[in-house]
Amino acid sequence: MKKIFTLLLVLVALPLVIPAPGQAIPAFARKYGFNCMMCHTAYPKLNDWGQRYRDNGYQLPGQTGKEKTMFDSHTPIALRTSVGFNGYNASPLTTGSFDLMGLDLLAAGVMHKNVSVLLIYTPRIDEPSADAAGAEPLQLGALESANIAFSNIIRNALNVRVGRFEPAYHLFSSKRSFYLNAPYEIYEYRPNGTFAFGDNQTGIEATGHFRMGFKYALGIVNGTGATAENDKSKDVYLALSQTIGPGDGQSAGQRVGAFAYYGNQPYAIPVWNATADTIMRLAWSDRSKPLYRYGASGSFNWKTLNLTAMYMRGLDDKAGNFLEKSAKDCEFQGAFVELDYGGLWNNRLIASVLYNWVEPPSYGAKMIPDGYSVPGMINAYSTLVRYYLGDWNAVNVALHAEYTYRTHEHKSNKELALFKESYYSMLVDFGF
Amino acid sequence: MGKIVALLAVTVLFIPLAALAGSDAVKPVPPITQTSALWLGPVKLGVLPAPPIPPDNPQTARKILLGKQLYFDTRLSRDNTISCATCHSPAMGWSDKGPTSKGIDGQMGGRRAPPASNSAYNPLQFWDGRSPSLEDQAKGPIQNPIEMGNTHQVMIRTVSDIPEYVEEFREVFGTSPITVDQVAQAIAAFERTIVTTDSPFDRFAKGDETALTCIEKKGLEIFNGKGRCSCCHWGPNFSDGRFHNLGTHMNMGKPDNGRYDITKDPKDMRAFKTPTMRDVGLRPPYLHMGNEKTVEDVIVFYNKGGGFKDPNMDPMMIPLGLSKGEIRALVAFLEHAMTSLNPEVADVKPIPASELPK
Repeated sequence: MKKIFTLLLVLVALPLVIPAPGQAIPAFARKYGFNCMMCHTAYPKLNDWGQRYRDNGYQLPGQTGKEKTMFDSHTPIALRTSVGFNGYNASPLTTGSFDLMGLDLLAAGVMHKNVSVLLIYTPRIDEPSADAAGAEPLQLGALESANIAFSNIIRNALNVRVGRFEPAYHLFSSKRSFYLNAPYEIYEYRPNGTFAFGDNQTGIEATGHFRMGFKYALGIVNGTGATAENDKSKDVYLALSQTIGPGDGQSAGQRVGAFAYYGNQPYAIPVWNATADTIMRLAWSDRSKPLYRYGASGSFNWKTLNLTAMYMRGLDDKAGNFLEKSAKDCEFQGAFVELDYGGLWNNRLIASVLYNWVEPPSYGAKMIPDGYSVPGMINAYSTLVRYYLGDWNAVNVALHAEYTYRTHEHKSNKELALFKESYYSMLVDFGF
Repeated sequence: MGKIVALLAVTVLFIPLAALAGSDAVKPVPPITQTSALWLGPVKLGVLPAPPIPPDNPQTARKILLGKQLYFDTRLSRDNTISCATCHSPAMGWSDKGPTSKGIDGQMGGRRAPPASNSAYNPLQFWDGRSPSLEDQAKGPIQNPIEMGNTHQVMIRTVSDIPEYVEEFREVFGTSPITVDQVAQAIAAFERTIVTTDSPFDRFAKGDETALTCIEKKGLEIFNGKGRCSCCHWGPNFSDGRFHNLGTHMNMGKPDNGRYDITKDPKDMRAFKTPTMRDVGLRPPYLHMGNEKTVEDVIVFYNKGGGFKDPNMDPMMIPLGLSKGEIRALVAFLEHAMTSLNPEVADVKPIPASELPK
């Protein structure tokens, strides 16, 4: 039975120890000779101008067709990585190591007026650290993004992106968050170990943005956790947002939004050892069952303070429930609230606090068989400070200190155990 | 495999679609001349290269001197009171004390005089870009009824009645009689010498780390970063030469349509050309109507996201979130670090009437 517990623990905790790849594309800054803070509140978080630039297919807002393509300008390749000390404490266990904390290779640019591409590859990093032995790679090789975008097909009202991309229902991008450890628990939470809201998707997405501050995103995607072999249907989503006041709600204006996601996903199901009455391993089900995600968000700005909040509910079909006796769908909910502050000149100093809350599917004590344990409530409190180095050309090196205190419950039919852990990082974050 | 094929099919389908959607109809925009070397951009801030010289109007010392005389000569106007320099005064950073410019008979124009300095780098001239060259631009104010109020015929007759001008034109152009095009070419040749290349920023850009003070360096960083100034004021001339609606007109009974009156393109409604930031501290007030009295006022204007809510406001107009300290740094950079020290330009004095050709 401990295997189940271990399995669940790994599924829940895994996203937290894998650094979230970040996106900032210095190739754009080099192309124009702009300082990073033109597009970013401070990299990698986009400001309103950067958001409009991205929405416009990596073309200057209102200046479509009046800039060099990627063939005429500098080689549009960029790199981002973080190096430093990472510590972890879950009493009595305390570890620390000097790590290369992720590496992104990015290429992006305008191929032709209103046609742009984005490619992000994260190479496999086998050595987890310089001073700690470990068998697991620090980062798996993955094609995080590879897409082509057709912008302004019907003015701002229709833009289409095809390929693998970060879906626009992510009203707050974990990939452009200041936090280097996967910041938003609800994005990563996957009760059945399959669909992760925070992951990039493969498919096609239509977006539109209007002067009145309204935006929409409508997509058809494969869904995460699925493979070509076991995925029998497509997922669809719709996200709407409205900004009040000038700006896009990133660094100016007040933005509220809502989203809904409907998918049909295969599930990881346990393969039982009938003799020992234990789970041997997980396997993909060939059955697809529905899942839902829906929620609301807000982003509120005052001077250089940005308060963001998001709430999400999710429902996964009971077919994926690990508790074989359960007849309940897996319903869960979660939220986060983040407050960011930009200080000094040109936002050279960033300070932030973040609170995460996830309430996993509720199983009454009677639903949990003897000897079983299921995840309970998650609470996480994070804070960070970043200071950027550079000059008028670029501020593309950040000294980064981040701390998270996290608790998560484990429920059995006899007790409720509270697991506490903390992790911290002191890094140098490079973008070139 | 099927998915890859489908993806490729969609991609192939959309490429011509996007290209079609992006193609603009041909519009009656003045042709872009070779002075528009910086048109595709943005490009990095930097030192000014030599100004582009049109092949059909080469620079000569005699032509430049003739142009300078004409530039300061009030006899080009109907009543001998207005010269180019009246509104494009070297003492006012080659612009006007404003807010808008005063022409013949005390008439007030609707816009202030754009700076003549570094105008050689502008792809298009005037606030609305209606002239494709300095030569074309130089002809305009002479016959504008609220500027110099003259006609080209009368102006040519006036100049042709001045023997020393007749002699000089013959020496410079080798032909007679004097033509409007020759007058314009001479003035344009002089204007191409009003190039300010020796500001503290230029020295800093060339490697002199001491050329800027600490606060000016911060201002430069904000200019090129959080202040987003360089998204329009880019390149060596700190101007994209393009047209933007800042939302300054929606409170007016009859708004100035700006660039729209030239192109009839709705996207250009109430849009005006980006002026150079070089020597900006020398020529208050600011914006094309002189709405803002000081550099700081302009920055505050941008900091709140521009002017009145205009349905055609440029999408780059977004509140900046600058603090008071950041605004001070930006002001320091613009007012001091952008002010040229070129003696040959900064010390240009009007030619007294007694020294003009007789």
